[in-house]
Amino acid sequence: MSDSRRKSRGNQEESAGTSNGLGGRNRPERPGDMGDEDDIGAGPSGINEEEDDPTRRREIRSKYRDLINQVQQNREDMLNPANNKLTDVLEEANKLFANVRQAREAALDAQLLVLATDLGKEKASQLHAEGSAFDPSAFAEHLLSFMGLNRLEDESGQDGNLEGYLPQDAWQRLAKRSEYCFKTAPSFHYMLGSFLAEPPPPRQRVERQRKVPSKEAKRMMPTQLKKMEESHQEATEKEVERILGCLQGYFADDSEEPISYYEFVIDPNSFSRTVENIFHTSFLIRDGLVRMYLGTDDLPCVAPVEEGEIEPGGAAVRHQCVISINHESWREIIDAFDIKEALIPSPDVLSQ
Amino acid sequence: MSQRKKAVSASQNKTQRRSQVSLDEDDEDAHFSQITSSQVQRARENYTSDQIDRKVAEVVQFILIKDQKKIPIRRADIGKHVIKEYKAIYTEIMNRVFRKFDQVFGLKLVEIDSKNHIYILINKLEPIHGEPVNMRPGNPKTGLLFVILSVIFMKGGVVKENTVWNTLKKLRVDPGEKHDEFGDVKKVVTDEFVRQKYLEYVKIPHTDPVECEFRWGLRAEKEVSKLKLLDFVGELFDQDPQSWTQQFRDASAAETSSQRS
Repeated sequence: MSDSRRKSRGNQEESAGTSNGLGGRNRPERPGDMGDEDDIGAGPSGINEEEDDPTRRREIRSKYRDLINQVQQNREDMLNPANNKLTDVLEEANKLFANVRQAREAALDAQLLVLATDLGKEKASQLHAEGSAFDPSAFAEHLLSFMGLNRLEDESGQDGNLEGYLPQDAWQRLAKRSEYCFKTAPSFHYMLGSFLAEPPPPRQRVERQRKVPSKEAKRMMPTQLKKMEESHQEATEKEVERILGCLQGYFADDSEEPISYYEFVIDPNSFSRTVENIFHTSFLIRDGLVRMYLGTDDLPCVAPVEEGEIEPGGAAVRHQCVISINHESWREIIDAFDIKEALIPSPDVLSQ
Repeated sequence: MSQRKKAVSASQNKTQRRSQVSLDEDDEDAHFSQITSSQVQRARENYTSDQIDRKVAEVVQFILIKDQKKIPIRRADIGKHVIKEYKAIYTEIMNRVFRKFDQVFGLKLVEIDSKNHIYILINKLEPIHGEPVNMRPGNPKTGLLFVILSVIFMKGGVVKENTVWNTLKKLRVDPGEKHDEFGDVKKVVTDEFVRQKYLEYVKIPHTDPVECEFRWGLRAEKEVSKLKLLDFVGELFDQDPQSWTQQFRDASAAETSSQRS
C-alpha cells in the first residue's frame, strides 16, 4: 500500500461524511485472500504456515482491542472536528488488517469498524456545509440577557456566566415570547368550576366517626350540631326582622322625612356592627320589604315598602349592586354626615 | 357476504352490535376497519339525528378535557369511552367532530401518528406578533421547551442529551438538582415532554454507558413553527435568520407543508 493511497483514503474519510467508512477502504490485494472464513488450516487458498502463528494472531487481536478501547474511551476527543484522530485509528486498523487471515481477528476488525462508523456519522453531522454555525453556549448567554439577567461587575472572571441575578419572572418572560412559536390549543376548563355538593358528606363522616366510642355519644352529637345550624339561621332572620322593625318605627313617627341609607346603617361605635347592618339591610331590599332610592342631593335613602306596593316575585324594576366599605370610608362617612349615634341600636349579646 | 347480511332481520342486527361491544378491548381499534358499509347504513338509520348530534358533542367534550394535560388522545380511548355502541357510524361522527373543532372552536384535531391513530388538538389560528397570545401568565415550561427545541433544531434535528443538559446548566437549570420553577427537571424533560410528544428521547446504539439523544416529537412537528422559532433565535443573536441557510431552508419547507395540510 503506497502512501498516496493511504492519504486519499484519509481524505475520503473526512469529506464524504455520509458515505460508509468502508467505501474508502481497500482490502489489501493478496492472492487467495477472499472467502477464507474458517479457522481450519490452509486449503486451496494458499495460506502460509507462518501466518497461522498463534502468537502473531494474539498480537493482532490485542492491537485491535487496544484500538477499540481507544475509540470507546476517547469518544469526545475523536468527535472533535479539529483533529483527525478517527482517521488515524482507521489507518492503524487498515495496517493491522493487512495481516488478518482468519475469522476471529476479522470479527474484531468488524467490531472496530462499527464503532468507527458510528463516530464517523456523528462527526459528519457536526459539519455545516454552509451557513453560520450555532453555538449553544452563546445561545444560553443571549437567553440570559433576554430574561433580564442583571450581570454584576465581578472580579473573578472564572465563573463568569454563573454570576448575576436572574429576576423572578425570567422564565415567564421567555415563555411569553416563546408562545408565539407555538400553535397551542388553549386548555379547556369550566369557567365556574364543576359542581360539588358539599354539605351532606361532612355530616355523615362525623356520625360514622363517633359511632365507635359509645352509643350515647353518637346520639348526642347530631342533635347538638342541628341546634347550632338553626340558631345561626335564626339569628340572621331575627336581626333582619329587628332592623325592619326599626325602620318602620322611624317611618311611623315621621313618614315625610327621608332616612339616609348611610345614617341608617352606620354605627359610629363599631365598624363590624356597621358591616352587619349593611348585610342585614340587603336582605330586606332583596326581599322587597325595603326600597332604596336617590333622594335630595342625590344621596341614597331607604324606606319601607308599603303593603301591596310591590309583589314579592313581581315584575317590578329591580337593580343589583355591590356595596363595599372599608375602615377609612367608614370614618369619612361618620365625619361627613356627623353621625353621633347608631340608628339601629345594637342588639343584646347573642346567648349561646 | 354482504348479500347474506342484507337478508338478516333487525333483531339480529342488535345482537351483532351487542357482540361487537363485548369484544376484547384490544381489538376495539382494529374493529373500526371491519365494519361494512351496509352495517353503517343500517346503523345510521337506527339512530336519530339528535342522538348522533349528542354523540358528536360528547366526543368533542371528551377530547377537550383530555387535551388539558396535552397528552395525545388515542382513537381506541375515544371508541371505548364515548362512542361505544355507535361504533358503526364512527367515521361519520369523527368527520363531524373534525368539522366542529374547525368551525366552532378554531382548533384543528390532527392525527400525529397514523399507524397508532393518535390525535392532538392544535390551534387553527396563527399567533400574531404584537398581539398577546392569551391573557394567562406565561407557563415557564413553555420557555424551557423552547430552549430545548431550538437547540435541537439549530443543531440539525438531533442532539446528544449532554448538549441539552449543558445548555440548561448555563441557564441555571441543573437536571441533577431541584429547580425552583421546574422541580425535577430531568423528569419534566425526559418524561413529561416525551409523553406529551413534544420531544423524543432515544438511546444511541453502541454507547457504553448508555447515552440518549433528543429529537423533536410528533406534537412539536405539528404545533411549533420552525420559521417563528428561527426568527426568535435570530432576534436573540441579532442576526438575520437567513444566515443559518440550512435551518432556514428546513424551516421554510416545514412551513409550506404545514400550510398545505
